[in-house]
Amino acid sequence: MIQLFHIYKNFGANIALNDINLRVHEGEFVFVTGPSGAGKTTLLRLIFGAERPAGGHILINGINLSRISRTRLDLLRRKIGFVFQDFKLLTNRTVFQNVSLALEVTGERRSFIRKKTRQALKLVGLVEKEKAFPLQLSGGEQQRVAIARAIVKDPLILLADEPTGNLDPELTKDIMVLFRSIHMKGTTVVVATHSRELLAGTAQRTVFLNRGRIVGEE
Amino acid sequence: MSPRLWPYFLKQAIWNMIKNRGVHALGLGTMVASLLIFGAFLLLFVNLDTWLRGWEHALSMTVYLDDGISNAQRNKVASMIKRIPGARIKRFISKADALEELRDALGPQSGLLDGLSTNPLPASFEVVFKGPEVAKTLSSQAMEKLKKTPGVEEVQFTREWQQRFDALMRMVRLVGFIIGGLLCLGVLFIVANTIKLAIYSRKDEIEILKLVGATDWFVKVPFLLEGLIQGILGGALSLLTLFLAYLLLATKKMQLLSFPILNFTFLPSEYVIALLIVSVLLGLVGSFIAVGRFFEL
Ligand SMILES: Nc1ncnc2c1ncn2[C@@H]1O[C@H](COP(=O)(O)OP(=O)(O)OP(=O)(O)O)[C@@H](O)[C@H]1O
Ligand SMILES: [Mg+2]
Repeated sequence: MIQLFHIYKNFGANIALNDINLRVHEGEFVFVTGPSGAGKTTLLRLIFGAERPAGGHILINGINLSRISRTRLDLLRRKIGFVFQDFKLLTNRTVFQNVSLALEVTGERRSFIRKKTRQALKLVGLVEKEKAFPLQLSGGEQQRVAIARAIVKDPLILLADEPTGNLDPELTKDIMVLFRSIHMKGTTVVVATHSRELLAGTAQRTVFLNRGRIVGEE
Repeated sequence: MSPRLWPYFLKQAIWNMIKNRGVHALGLGTMVASLLIFGAFLLLFVNLDTWLRGWEHALSMTVYLDDGISNAQRNKVASMIKRIPGARIKRFISKADALEELRDALGPQSGLLDGLSTNPLPASFEVVFKGPEVAKTLSSQAMEKLKKTPGVEEVQFTREWQQRFDALMRMVRLVGFIIGGLLCLGVLFIVANTIKLAIYSRKDEIEILKLVGATDWFVKVPFLLEGLIQGILGGALSLLTLFLAYLLLATKKMQLLSFPILNFTFLPSEYVIALLIVSVLLGLVGSFIAVGRFFEL
């Protein structure tokens, strides 16, 4: 479960998030939407602990992020998959190595890592590209590598920041189906997007952000 | 930390060193040069020390004879002395000669000696040593036999030299410590900076590693290994270079300060091991320093 209490975040004079209160239950699927600059990315990064709030508290499964040690935060991150808006792939490692990295850091068994990595690449349709380097891929392919890396560790929480921004409608549908199936297995999923098409066909809970404030929900 | 990770760490460390080979080569070169200077100093010190130690006892020796010694016994003692390797009798000082020398030494106060009814001074042989075996001479059997030969009252080595050498060696040792300390600090600085550059060049990668759930240690260990490897390589290369230089000089029968160094030896194994340990430690500590303050995310 994700709980945010009176979260503030500023970058200098620029207030990115202003008194955000939000509760996402375990196993929920939530969209966060709003115009560019609304604070969607900032919100997800705060939940992930990649950024610290200027005020307020964030609880993940009852654990207060501002209270735990760095090491415990590192360990918590292993249970959270994050699809970054800018992918954050290592350009000097192959697709396969980029995806397996998420398991590598946990010191899992080689054979297990290999198996899971293949599976994840298959789910995003990139098995044939496993030996390629990120810069040899299209934007959409890079995005799918980022998705594979986020899901390879079977996360309890999946945070996806504009995960279909570079995908054609066909692939967008595939990825959304993939997220649904991950959600079906019990994973809490939060997807940030400004794409109306993505939201159009769904009856999912949607949180509207504007200028750092929650302005509505449906 | 899972032991399964070590192959990964090692691979990362070596891979990084290959990728940043320019920086690493420069760091390693400077490190080797510093350790080489220190090693060369140690080598000179060790040789000077054994060389002087050889001379300090053996420069001269006085064999005092019993008063009632017969001529036959005296000749026996003389032949015993000649049997000691490298020994040469410089002169024989009879009781009368000894008294005469003392009288000369006393000068105006020599009147003190006039009251003596008998000559209290013993006769003696003054012996000097020469040759490569001087150090061994002291413990030689011939020396032991000489001390037990009838008619020999006492065997005395000249201590004055020893004291002077000891003072000199203390100075040399002190200078060595200072040079060594400064060089160690220098090496530490070099290693720390090399690793810092390595970390800096991989800033983005580190950020991503942290974002996918790597602990600080997971990120740090490859860098620490880089420092360790640099320490091992630095130590090994500098010792190798020193050994090659030694071989070159030793075969050319180097002349130092116009004295031929007869037994120019390489560093004893304790020194070699100590030097290796020091360089490995410097590598590790240097990378610890570099890695220590870098991580804040
Ligand atoms: N690292 C940063 N430094 C300074 N300002 C930042 C930083 N990150 C975000 N901001 C600011 O915070 C506000 C919210 O940014 P954020 O990236 O969360 O928006 P977003 O909703 O994700 O937009 P988009 O849809 O374009 O991705 C923006 O005004 C942005 O300029
Ligand atoms: Mg964004």
